[in-house]
Amino acid sequence: MSALLTVSGLTKQFGSLRALDGVDLCVEAGRLTGLIGPNGAGKSTAFGCIAGALKPSAGSVRYGEREIAGLPYHRVARLGIGRTYQIVQTFADMTVLEAVTTGALLHRPRLTAATAHAEEILAFVGLDAKRHRLGSALTIADKKRLEVARALATDPALLLLDEVMAGLTPAECRDAVDLLRRILARGVTILMVEHVMEVLMPIAEHVVVIAAGKTIFAGNARAAVRDPAVIEAYLGAPLDGDDGEGAP
Amino acid sequence: MSATRGHLLALGALVVALVAVAFGVRDQVTLELVFTFLLYAVLGQSWNWISGYAGNISFGHAIFLACGAYASGVLVTAGWSPWLAFVAAALAAIVLAVVTGFPTLGLRGHYFSIATIAVAALVEACVRVVPWLNGANGFELPIRNGWSALEFAGKTNYVLLALALFVAVQLATLALERSRLGFYLRALRANYAAAASVGIDERRWKLLAFAASAVMASAAGVLYAQDTLFVDPPSVLALSVSIDIALIGVVGGLGTLWGPAAGALVYVVLAKGVALHLGGSGKGYDLVIYGAIICLIAALRPDGIVGTIVKAARRRRGTLGADAFAAEAA
Repeated sequence: MSALLTVSGLTKQFGSLRALDGVDLCVEAGRLTGLIGPNGAGKSTAFGCIAGALKPSAGSVRYGEREIAGLPYHRVARLGIGRTYQIVQTFADMTVLEAVTTGALLHRPRLTAATAHAEEILAFVGLDAKRHRLGSALTIADKKRLEVARALATDPALLLLDEVMAGLTPAECRDAVDLLRRILARGVTILMVEHVMEVLMPIAEHVVVIAAGKTIFAGNARAAVRDPAVIEAYLGAPLDGDDGEGAP
Repeated sequence: MSATRGHLLALGALVVALVAVAFGVRDQVTLELVFTFLLYAVLGQSWNWISGYAGNISFGHAIFLACGAYASGVLVTAGWSPWLAFVAAALAAIVLAVVTGFPTLGLRGHYFSIATIAVAALVEACVRVVPWLNGANGFELPIRNGWSALEFAGKTNYVLLALALFVAVQLATLALERSRLGFYLRALRANYAAAASVGIDERRWKLLAFAASAVMASAAGVLYAQDTLFVDPPSVLALSVSIDIALIGVVGGLGTLWGPAAGALVYVVLAKGVALHLGGSGKGYDLVIYGAIICLIAALRPDGIVGTIVKAARRRRGTLGADAFAAEAA
């Protein structure tokens, strides 16, 4: 397997706040890689820097053979990196079909071809019955699905998914996991931010854990939950001299 | 697509009706009102491209009208054919759109609108001091008659010319709604970050729309100058001209095919038609009535005339949320 995306030393400074402080991660082609970490660890900032929405202060983002750090957002999309947002960003006054068609237009300038591709993608993600609904009128689960469809319509090689499971019911989560498996089967590589580890465990072979803007673990998902540094990042360090009885 | 056929049929019916009016009506005042209606419908649609579909509200659109009017003034008084003015006007409008749009089209919120007011003021100031644009005096076109001079004694041919321009602009807008550019502008208006995430280069597509919009307005400017035979800064560059254009777009409905025509109809009937009957005494009743109507539309129907109709039609088809759920449940 070869690395599709290699991030090293990624740093992002917002004024005096260092949101990313040297993040390293590697995404193998054809796999689903999980990016996890506690609240405020810098997951979404890292996503923004990889996708081009944010300009990294330092560090390198290699996509295939290219260095893409600092490229304009739309150029990164054109190179084949699609994304969804943690807080859904739909095209409010477009129908579902129109929004996905907008994505499909990236590599299919003719509207008829783009619409046909969008129809195919909507059937693939299971939104075809709601194609004439306005994006703003969908449920949260469907809005997230719409974002995935819109990104998929641009024919990405790498899909960045930012908490697509957040706020979903267990049944909707199962549907979403099923969709992820089918996306992988299409040959699309996925890097997925997820706050909830249980969601990621069954589908991610490889996880990267970041905390306070730094990579603290990279490797097998099962090993991650037993890693002392990961446990400390999520639950805090054991108290000094704590014998397990003295806590009030 | 049946919607496209409907629009084309409506446009065809309007053409037949207005050609009949152009040849059948003898009253020159009425014909001048029809001409003004068509010219403002074109200006409103031109504005609608960048402000309605793309969402960058401009209060300086008169500068592109001025490109056309001044192209006529400069070329015709220098002895050139007014037909050349269409080409010169389009080129000037494209240059002006690119030069002013490049730094401003990415501005968010109201900052673009403020920038357009500043740009328009700057253009007006420049026109007043450039010697070959005759400063504050402007241009008076020589009185002639015939197609080669693009001047006519009667108003019939002016109506036909404006109608041809209107049809071209409506067809272009219909094509826009069914094109990559149209989808991209709507996406950028709705959410520029999400638009970038699907590969849309905001500056490139908005500049394209702005340039196209400027060319349409410049053609209207040529017809305006050929009709009034007089061009000076207050008549084509005043802030009030830009605001009239923007009001027409807003009253009719932003980002709709027929909105600007509806807005222009309201504008001509109220602002000009009422002025003919009430405004002569210098009391300005016409402005009071027009202003009151604008306030009513802004307060009660912020989507504009056509925008309201489009929403109602969508609701009937069930593409809006609540009703769609209700339809599903039933």
